[in-house]
Amino acid sequence: MAFKLTVDGRAHEIEIVRRRPHLVVSIDGRDHEVTVAGGFEEGRQAMEVAGLVVHFVRAPCGDRQIIRLGGRNFETGLIDPRSEVAGVGGDQDHVKAPMPGAVVSIHKSVGEAVKRGETLVTIESMKLQMALAAPRDGRVAEFLRGEGEKVEKDEAIVRLETVVREG
Amino acid sequence: MTRESSAGRAPPSTKAIPFRKILIANRGEIVCRVARTLRELGIASVAVYHHVEMNARHVRIADEAIEITGETPVAAHLDGKQIVEAALAVGADAIHPGYGFLSENAGFAKMVADAGLAFIGPSADVIALMGDKISARDFARRHGVPVAPSVVPAADLAGFAAEAEKIGFPLVIKATAGGGGKGMSVVRSAAGLDEAARIAASEAKRYFGDGRIYAEVYVERPRHIEVQILGDGEGNVVHLLERECSVQRRFQKIIEEAPAANLPFGLRDAVCQAAVQLAAAAKYKNAGTVEFILGADGRFFFLEMNTRLQVEHPVTEMITGFDLVRAQIEIAAGLGLPFAQDQVAARGSAIECRICAENPERDFMPETGTIQYLGVPEAPFLRFESALDAGQKITADFDPMLAKLVVHGADRNEAIERAIVALGELAILGVRTNADYLARVLDHPALRSGALHTGFVLEHSPSLAAGEPDAATLDKVLIAAALGFREFRDQVFDVPEPYASMGRWRN
Repeated sequence: MAFKLTVDGRAHEIEIVRRRPHLVVSIDGRDHEVTVAGGFEEGRQAMEVAGLVVHFVRAPCGDRQIIRLGGRNFETGLIDPRSEVAGVGGDQDHVKAPMPGAVVSIHKSVGEAVKRGETLVTIESMKLQMALAAPRDGRVAEFLRGEGEKVEKDEAIVRLETVVREG
Repeated sequence: MTRESSAGRAPPSTKAIPFRKILIANRGEIVCRVARTLRELGIASVAVYHHVEMNARHVRIADEAIEITGETPVAAHLDGKQIVEAALAVGADAIHPGYGFLSENAGFAKMVADAGLAFIGPSADVIALMGDKISARDFARRHGVPVAPSVVPAADLAGFAAEAEKIGFPLVIKATAGGGGKGMSVVRSAAGLDEAARIAASEAKRYFGDGRIYAEVYVERPRHIEVQILGDGEGNVVHLLERECSVQRRFQKIIEEAPAANLPFGLRDAVCQAAVQLAAAAKYKNAGTVEFILGADGRFFFLEMNTRLQVEHPVTEMITGFDLVRAQIEIAAGLGLPFAQDQVAARGSAIECRICAENPERDFMPETGTIQYLGVPEAPFLRFESALDAGQKITADFDPMLAKLVVHGADRNEAIERAIVALGELAILGVRTNADYLARVLDHPALRSGALHTGFVLEHSPSLAAGEPDAATLDKVLIAAALGFREFRDQVFDVPEPYASMGRWRN
């Protein structure tokens, strides 16, 4: 039986090969014998893979789990096969807030043509101002947030449209 | 009566401190830090809090806590009048301002004094003198402390750009009332000058209520060296050696150490003496820090003086064995300097790592989230200074600094090794932090060799990136994660015989 897991957004498959006397799983064709499975709970844990102790820290976080292992944090999730959907490509039409904050100033107006890299808005978060630039050439279709308004992380602030040459 | 010093090496003072209760006008780790010394001194601590931080650690550990209100949590902590009223209401004798917030606000210091309370800091006049970068530089120059050339105070923004261009590039723009990197930027050509000046002025206006900016020559590959001093207000000053804070991102320190690595012979004395000279001339009272930039040619220039306890004060405490908060309180109480210059000596090496909620892979953007798990390293040579709790929400309300991890070692190498191990043991899960990035910085050959400058992080950014985890690590992560998901675990452990003993099968 195989499960699909994500690690930092990337999908991987882990298959149960054997259950007794020890669990054996297969990941990308590599088999691992889990000699001691360790605790299920959050906090510092130890498991034994092929007889070697592996220390890690586990924290459930909603339907995800954060695993700290080898001096690094990983965000992991279990993909429910029933709800699996195709991924979405890069969005070049929206300029999104990379962090939560507020719009400080808007440098363009609706309908204005912009070049890739031109500053469209300045936002501010945690005492830090940041200029957000156009991801491509185009024209400002609309501002979804105005000056002084709050924005959440990854919220779209500007929508761009493609300039269609007439004639 | 004798008291034990928290650091264990200071000679016990026999002088009585007249304070019974001190209000700490701050939040987070520094409140916990100050309260610890107050407890050792038998002085009651009072915390203040905005309702969003009602259950915060700094509120719980204080002997008393009093709510302050404001449109935003930060606004509440900046409301000096309300805080003085709170101090009077609880019967405090003094106010310790910590760092940030009201700590360098001359108006607040005056308000505290006018209310008949002791302000644990310098006089309002000295705060004002050092808080204005231009008056501070003029004062330093007048008293023989080296100052970087080519300052151009700006009247209006248009005139500013024209004037600034004359000093040449690269130049650095700073806020006259500034600090902490706010309203500050390096400009390398005339093309970026207008926009940089506009942003700097608007940031300065927003954070300091004062949009004045100035420009100066930018020293390439400068080191940030600062000197911890204590002054009694009568012109007597001692220094507690230097700290190096060259590892910075966005002009803010992330790794600080004491003493500085590989200082050329004679330079340490020269820098420390310049700091003492400045503080003595100002008849400085309190703990303070005189910051310098040190060029590759060995020339050093006065940068600014911080008239408060510094975030990175623990590294100085670790190498000298003195408790700086206690020293601040004794000085404020009029007991004078707690020790003489010849009692100050460096023992070993100390490093502080600032743990921030931020993403080093995305230009150190602040991160938010909830701390799902907190695992803190413990050792006799280590201080983990924080006000963190598991379950705590990290929001954009406050500064992204979550904690400070400070270690001591017999020498710099041992301190670096201990810091790397401790950062590995530290587990903050649920909000992204820079902890693992800091471990990579400390492990970098250029840091180990002491080749530091304030552009260190930028210069080495490719070799400081996390990189992809190897397949062996990824497999272990997948196994650990899978075993934590009930759906997977049920399939492994709750499957009855004979299915459980079956070999590889697919559904």
